[in-house]
Amino acid sequence: MNTVLAQQLDEQINALLAGAEYQPRTTDVRLRDLTQLAAELRFEVSAEFRDQLGAELQQQAARIWVEQLSHKAGFERGVSLWSEHEDFEPPQFKSLPAAPLDCTHLAVSFSLHVAVMAGVLTSGLWMVEHRDQMRGQIVSMLADSHYILAPTRSEAHGGGGGGDRDKVQASKGTAPRFAEEQLTPPTVIVRDEDPKLPADPTLVGSPEVLLPESSQAGDPLSKILSLSNGTGSGGGIGSGQSGGVGSGRGPGLGEGSGGGIGAGVFHVGGGVSAPRVLYEPEPEFSEEARKAKHQGIVVLAVVIAPDGRPRDLRVINSLGMGLDEKAVEAVRKWRFEPAHKDGRPVAVQVQIEVAFRLY
Amino acid sequence: MKIAGPEALEREQIEAAQRDPRQFGVLYENNLRAVFSYVARRLPSRQEAEDVTAEVFHQALAGLQTFCWEGRPFVAWLLGIAAHLIAKRWQQIGRSTVVAEEIDVEGHGLDAERQAMYAQLVERLPEDQRRVIERRFVYQQSIREIAQELGRSEGAVKQLQFRALENLRNQVRRPS
Repeated sequence: MNTVLAQQLDEQINALLAGAEYQPRTTDVRLRDLTQLAAELRFEVSAEFRDQLGAELQQQAARIWVEQLSHKAGFERGVSLWSEHEDFEPPQFKSLPAAPLDCTHLAVSFSLHVAVMAGVLTSGLWMVEHRDQMRGQIVSMLADSHYILAPTRSEAHGGGGGGDRDKVQASKGTAPRFAEEQLTPPTVIVRDEDPKLPADPTLVGSPEVLLPESSQAGDPLSKILSLSNGTGSGGGIGSGQSGGVGSGRGPGLGEGSGGGIGAGVFHVGGGVSAPRVLYEPEPEFSEEARKAKHQGIVVLAVVIAPDGRPRDLRVINSLGMGLDEKAVEAVRKWRFEPAHKDGRPVAVQVQIEVAFRLY
Repeated sequence: MKIAGPEALEREQIEAAQRDPRQFGVLYENNLRAVFSYVARRLPSRQEAEDVTAEVFHQALAGLQTFCWEGRPFVAWLLGIAAHLIAKRWQQIGRSTVVAEEIDVEGHGLDAERQAMYAQLVERLPEDQRRVIERRFVYQQSIREIAQELGRSEGAVKQLQFRALENLRNQVRRPS
């Protein structure tokens, strides 16, 4: 009986996951209740999404905070310079009686001026000291390099980028197909409604490479939903130049230049620095392994993206008893200072050993 | 004068985040579930729902200085941004008619509370049942994929799914 019900329930769940609205299609109360519950469970937030968006917002908040600080510092500096200027004449409020000179007020005023000056100096120093950090955050937003390539030992050749100097970054969408030559660069917002030579937009690259397709053109890596061709130049979509899609130069896709797909994944060494762990929550034991007193080392192959997040986690050395899953679960939450090549953050593949020991 | 109550607390959290945007995390954690639930019920895929939810919070953080407290919960503002983005999304994919809707903040507050309760109940399930539920509904994997991952037969995974949902239903029905 339960097997039949389990099968019927699964069929209803399949329909729900395929996008169907919840509608009670059965007279069996038990099955109807369970399907209704399943319909609600579809709207649960995944832990990965919550953590990833949280980390992105943290970065955005830090940038806004730095901007606020620099505006404030500039304002305070302006006020200070204004009041110290030799020709400065304070505004005359003739209708008000002159305040009597008070030593306490004078002391308070002096202390406030000293505090403001100290604030200006320290915020200036802070900005200088954190210049790399600030630049790193901005670069990491632009240098995300996970298009579709597998890890390689050297940088993938090719790539491209474009845009039409919009103030907003390029919107999310799919890149057009590859062709041997490009007659029309891709675009999100069509500026010329009536071109002299209408042709399908393409990227230059091997036509054998098939890219995902959708009706919405854009940069596959973007998170921006409002329509924009991007901040780059020379046509195309993205922050790069010359008719491609992404942050590179040329009519291809991704970082790099000259067409094709750019930006693969590096290995550490040969001018590529190692990533450094910044946040390392410890893995938990699985109940099964704890009961069996099972311990050892799980080895994972992980790509550390230019934004410092681990991606494409694979188990190389398995321990079983639920410890592989626990290792993946923990490392997924780790955050890194990314690897660098030529001063820019790049994606690298590394191996991470996660030790499970019982004391 | 110290004002007590959730409204006053939320107002303090908003003002703190307006002074220092790094305090936005509390508002994000408190409202993520309600926003995602609202968006996911109106878009065809989970991926799209995540994209729009992310955009809602990015826009909210960027425009936080413009937010004025008018006695309505913060989530109402977020849902307003979400409704606008969803309408744009539908227009982009070719549905020119978008029906404007009145946002029922209280209703979505209840949705969020219910989602939070389900999340807690799922956490309390036996590990094999919890894994099946998470993989099936949060990551939307097929029974075959889950069976391969867990090293079980497809029939066994369907049974686990069935038992897990029954467990959850019994927990929901049980008086607190």
